[in-house]
Amino acid sequence: LPGLDPLSAVWVGIICLVFSSRLSTMKAASICPNDQTGCHLLPLANLFDRVIQHSARMHGISDDLHSEFELYFLPSKNQIGRVSRNCHTSTILTPNGKENAQRIAREELAEIILKLLVAWRDPLWHFHQSMSQHDEFTNFSSNKSLEMSDMVHELRKGVLKVVEKMQMLGIISNSVGDTGSPEALLTSDSAEWRFMKDYDLLYCFRRDSNKIQNYLKILKCRIVPKHGC
Amino acid sequence: MRGDLGLVMLWMLSAAKECDGTSPPGKPALVGCRSPEKETFTCWWKPGSDGGLPTTHRLYYEKEKEEGIHECPDYHSAGNNSCFFGKNYTSIWVEYSLRVVAFNALGNASSDTLDIDVMKVLKSDAPEAVTVLVDENLNTPCLNISWKRPSKVDVTKGWVSLTYELRVKVQTGLDWMMFTEVAQNSLRMYNIEPGVTYEVQVRCSLDHSSWSDWSKATFVEVPGYFRNQRLVWTLVFVFSLIPFLAAICILILKRKLVKQWILPPIPGPKIKGLDAQLFKSGRSEDVANALIANQNFPPTSVCMDQTEEYLLVSESNDWLLTDPYRSQRKKKSLLTPSDLNLDPEIQREVSTPGHSDREKSKSSEDEKDDFTPTSRCQSKENMSNTEPLLLPPPEKHQNSSVNVVNEDAALLQTTCENVVQAVAGYVDIQQGENTQEVGVEQWAYSQVKEVDETILLIKSHNLPVSSASQPREGSVAESVPTDYSRVKEVKGDNMVILHKDLHKSLCKKKEALDTEWTNQNTKMPHSSDCSKGMCLEMIGDGYVDSVPRFSTE
Repeated sequence: LPGLDPLSAVWVGIICLVFSSRLSTMKAASICPNDQTGCHLLPLANLFDRVIQHSARMHGISDDLHSEFELYFLPSKNQIGRVSRNCHTSTILTPNGKENAQRIAREELAEIILKLLVAWRDPLWHFHQSMSQHDEFTNFSSNKSLEMSDMVHELRKGVLKVVEKMQMLGIISNSVGDTGSPEALLTSDSAEWRFMKDYDLLYCFRRDSNKIQNYLKILKCRIVPKHGC
Repeated sequence: MRGDLGLVMLWMLSAAKECDGTSPPGKPALVGCRSPEKETFTCWWKPGSDGGLPTTHRLYYEKEKEEGIHECPDYHSAGNNSCFFGKNYTSIWVEYSLRVVAFNALGNASSDTLDIDVMKVLKSDAPEAVTVLVDENLNTPCLNISWKRPSKVDVTKGWVSLTYELRVKVQTGLDWMMFTEVAQNSLRMYNIEPGVTYEVQVRCSLDHSSWSDWSKATFVEVPGYFRNQRLVWTLVFVFSLIPFLAAICILILKRKLVKQWILPPIPGPKIKGLDAQLFKSGRSEDVANALIANQNFPPTSVCMDQTEEYLLVSESNDWLLTDPYRSQRKKKSLLTPSDLNLDPEIQREVSTPGHSDREKSKSSEDEKDDFTPTSRCQSKENMSNTEPLLLPPPEKHQNSSVNVVNEDAALLQTTCENVVQAVAGYVDIQQGENTQEVGVEQWAYSQVKEVDETILLIKSHNLPVSSASQPREGSVAESVPTDYSRVKEVKGDNMVILHKDLHKSLCKKKEALDTEWTNQNTKMPHSSDCSKGMCLEMIGDGYVDSVPRFSTE
């Protein structure tokens, strides 16, 4: 270029460098100018809120379905003893109290959530299949079972994203999210759930969805406590 | 008979036994359990009959997937016939199987088992410290309701969530206004009526489980009027009063103006152009001016003021002997084509434009009178014979200039034909009508003696004489006028005696005459040697441009 003398070229180069550096920094801290108030965790808090909302909805649907089953089939309360009610996810050790949930490591808690979600993927799908085949169930129930099954999928993806974000921020170690072990767990327990009755399956899932929701809330309040706890 | 007796004996024995009052305890019944914060729970039972003996109750439970039967850890914290499970003994999402057994000396009795999950028996206490205030600070007053969460519940860890519900009603009314799904600890309620007492109650639920009891009713009374409303109205009243009072003050102070404006005075009659003030002064001349000033009379051409120039020309010398102009009276002077004598004493009067107007105005009165120096109007009797050329009578003011400055072609004709019997008098020739631009306006006189030829005094009105005097002069200078009178003799400063031999046609063309006129007129003021009166320039060899160019046949 005839009009481009060395000085202006240098200026252009400097400007380009500044812009590129700004762009790179922008990616890292786009929303928060300073990290003093924990602002950089806002995207994580938002993610948490979303998955918690999702899990709450899932639990609501499972609760509705369970109540519907009770109405339709009217199982007597004494009929089902505690022996028969054996959820296939009982092998997963879950904290049963507030202190216990506070005490265990964050990674372990996240892993438990993922394990639960993985464990229910297939059973719910099969449940929906058996639901749609029976004529006595209303469309309402059938849609709910399908929705439930889909939600488990979506929620698992969401939780994986949250875990990934936490790992990126350095909050938890990278030991979580091994897809190998949940799959192994599933294969070992794969036969059990097939023998469960539909009603028991619904009962178990209702409980587990409540667990998932609660664990997610606890995890959020442990990691991002300033954002609505 | 014997069998019946045996039965009676047995019955009596058993009755005797019961008459002691002791028996094994009756079967207790578990009433229910409740967890107020999802960390502990309490179960209550109802005991059966005690059988007259002191009985104790024991609660045993089994947990899901845990082997062994456990006994209630705490029988006293929650009161009689209760079992309190502390934090260490409470497990969520775990099924408990409970039963109560009553013991006394004679036996025991067990209740039915009760399966519970803590999540199913969540029921919180009622919200605490419900306060209701009437908020008047805003534009619309409202009820500001606030409360506190139940003290036992811990919402900080995310373990449990609280949802509130409110209901409000007028104390004397029946319908409740419900507010559901309230997550915060406060609420604003609008649309409140003044002078009404409201009743407010709040309840809550843990994790969307069963609702707690309603809190104790809180009452609030809304005042009859709102403070800010009253303030606003008083301010409005005061501020609207100020301009009102100001308007009244202004009206009173300026009542005359107001009266004038509302009832304007009817104007009296008025003549257009007439200033009534002049009449009041009482001066006759003022009155005359007032009456006449706006009449817009055209100026009288022949009426001049005192200073006017004129030249007397006569043929015979004896004419000179008379003293015609000394007294400024009307002169019997003749103007003959052959001989033109000049008066030795020419009263030269220079007319100024300023005077001429006044003269014009005065001419009406003066004309009829004597021929005063101030007035140059020809009297009627003098010029009676020369009608078309004479000065107009007083009545014909409009035509005065016209007569002299005669543009009319018809008149020209008549003048050509008629013989003008100019007895005496002057003919005023106005240079230009109402032309006062250049102070060149001058009156040109010619004294007419008895002439038997027609006197042609023609001036074309097309010629803007005064304004175009300068160029005319130039043009004139080039064109040598054809009609001249030879000068016989010059006498003194102001007198020239002309020859008799004037051969001119009477009815010359207008243009030629005009040029003559212009020649003469324009050249008049320019010679500095001349005396005040008319100057006759010497042109050529003795020929003179005389003022009135008559040409006679």
